Amino acid sequence: MALLEVENLSLALALSGMLKPVVDNISFSVDAGDTLGIVGESGCGKSLTALAIMGLIADSPIRITGGAIRFEGRDLASISEAERRALMGDRMAMIFQEPMTSLNPVYRIGDQITESLGQHRKLSKKAARARAADLLRQVRIPDPEGRLDAYPHQLSGGMRQRVMIAMALACDPALLIADEPTTALDVTVQAQILDLLADLQEETGMAVMLISHDLGVIAENCKDVAVMYRGRIVEAASAADLFAAPRHPYTVGLLNSIPDPDADKDDLEAIPGRVPTIDEVIPGCAFHPRCAFAQDICRDVRPGDAIASKEHTALCHFPTGGAE
Amino acid sequence: MTAALATFNQVFRGRRLALLGVGWLIIVAIAVVFAPWLTPYDPLEIDPVARLTAPNAEHWFGTDHFGRDTLARCIYGARMALLIGLGAVVVSLVGGTLIGMLSAYFTRLGHVLMRVVDVAMAFPALLLALVLMTILDRSVTNTIFVIGIVYTTTTARILFGMTLKLKNEVFVDAAVVTGAGHPSVLFKHILPNLISPLLVQATFIFAFAQLQAAALDFLGLGLPPEIPSWGNMLAESRVYVTRASWLLMFPGALIILTVFSMNLVGDALRDAIDPRFKDDIAGV
Repeated sequence: MALLEVENLSLALALSGMLKPVVDNISFSVDAGDTLGIVGESGCGKSLTALAIMGLIADSPIRITGGAIRFEGRDLASISEAERRALMGDRMAMIFQEPMTSLNPVYRIGDQITESLGQHRKLSKKAARARAADLLRQVRIPDPEGRLDAYPHQLSGGMRQRVMIAMALACDPALLIADEPTTALDVTVQAQILDLLADLQEETGMAVMLISHDLGVIAENCKDVAVMYRGRIVEAASAADLFAAPRHPYTVGLLNSIPDPDADKDDLEAIPGRVPTIDEVIPGCAFHPRCAFAQDICRDVRPGDAIASKEHTALCHFPTGGAE
Repeated sequence: MTAALATFNQVFRGRRLALLGVGWLIIVAIAVVFAPWLTPYDPLEIDPVARLTAPNAEHWFGTDHFGRDTLARCIYGARMALLIGLGAVVVSLVGGTLIGMLSAYFTRLGHVLMRVVDVAMAFPALLLALVLMTILDRSVTNTIFVIGIVYTTTTARILFGMTLKLKNEVFVDAAVVTGAGHPSVLFKHILPNLISPLLVQATFIFAFAQLQAAALDFLGLGLPPEIPSWGNMLAESRVYVTRASWLLMFPGALIILTVFSMNLVGDALRDAIDPRFKDDIAGV
């Protein structure tokens, strides 16, 4: 049984009585200990999916309009608020994009880490503090005992993200959702944080759902990849397959737009056009206005899953490479 | 203690007027604590022979129409000023914080509560206080309560806006995903971030409460007349103002000085917390 199963999930934005779909019928699963990468441009729905899994959309105009999210076999929509709170921070944890704002400025680092320990583990103050120091050591913060008494503003962005990771790991979660964990960091710090995540994953055996718009990050860290475009998963495959033989024109475009330092040219290759706004209704395949291979059928008929193999799907009428 | 001194220095450095304000408030505080030792006279003791004496060596601030010592009444009046100020601050901050925070956090409840606040704010503060005092009896508790209610509305408005902003901060989401429930999110994660604006708000409410209390006393709807308060003294001086102007001047000056001092301190605190509002007048 998969640890996390998202089945035909649809999300919509409720604005002045209208429901505008933002995530459309996506399915994926994460097995215990595995890493799933979700990649896509800004606004494709990848973060919303994560927020929906963590139950952070309750107070927003986003509504779940269909499908199910199951964690350890339990439907998250049907459990009570108290049961959900018992899961959050204990079995599943999340780290956010903005390490500068994701720590409460008025509390010491140690207090923030021990909070979820106190909530889920009922540890004594002393034991929780010792555990917090251990966690800081685990995320390789120098002088962990001393740092427990630091305030967030005394730490750099990379350090804060490490603290966030330490907080998330406090109760040994089975699943960690990392929503663009390195986007706000310097490139060098980015690499350190990703290495750290990979090491911690190996040590603790947790599963990671890594959300990013950076294909490099995904390629290096993930076993499976799902590419999202405009609320749909347009291609899903193992990382090896996806990067070796991309099948959806969008994935091909993304891969082509990575600059090649050896190539002897000055221009970056980009996908033409722009991400459509959610107000635009696009008949047929949502990607067809930007697709170089678009045919008449793409303008009228929504593509179903063109299954290349059981493990490699692409939402396209004319998937490139492979089967033909 | 050294940390407190450092903070004090940070807030008031280069603000000589605000420091004078602090000085005056310390004098008021001393008067409040040591009132019985600062004057040989009882503020209520009547001396018909010495009525309406002009300020002299014996009665520094003169006496009123019952021959009561004005200085003693001013000193004891400071007690009332402080009590009313603090009471109004506590009532309005507790009420306003609860209303503002809950309204911002629970959107539906907020729709109802904030409309009530809007209606209350549509009345001029003094008018609202007058209406409430007409319904209630004249007493210290009721005066504190009514002035507190009047400033609850503005506090609720301010806290509503700040909580709306704070509840969308990532650290609040981060708290939610570690399994924190509503009370924990509200009071452990949001409220501590509101302490500094609340502190600033407290100083202004304290100052405005003085004016409000004086106005109510003057109109005969505040503290009972037998209680020596600066506002009651003003009200009583009205009749004798042409013959005994000191009766008007001393309590009036005390009200002005205290309100002005409190506002200066509030300005300094606000600038230290939110430098965007800082004015360019050096030393203010």
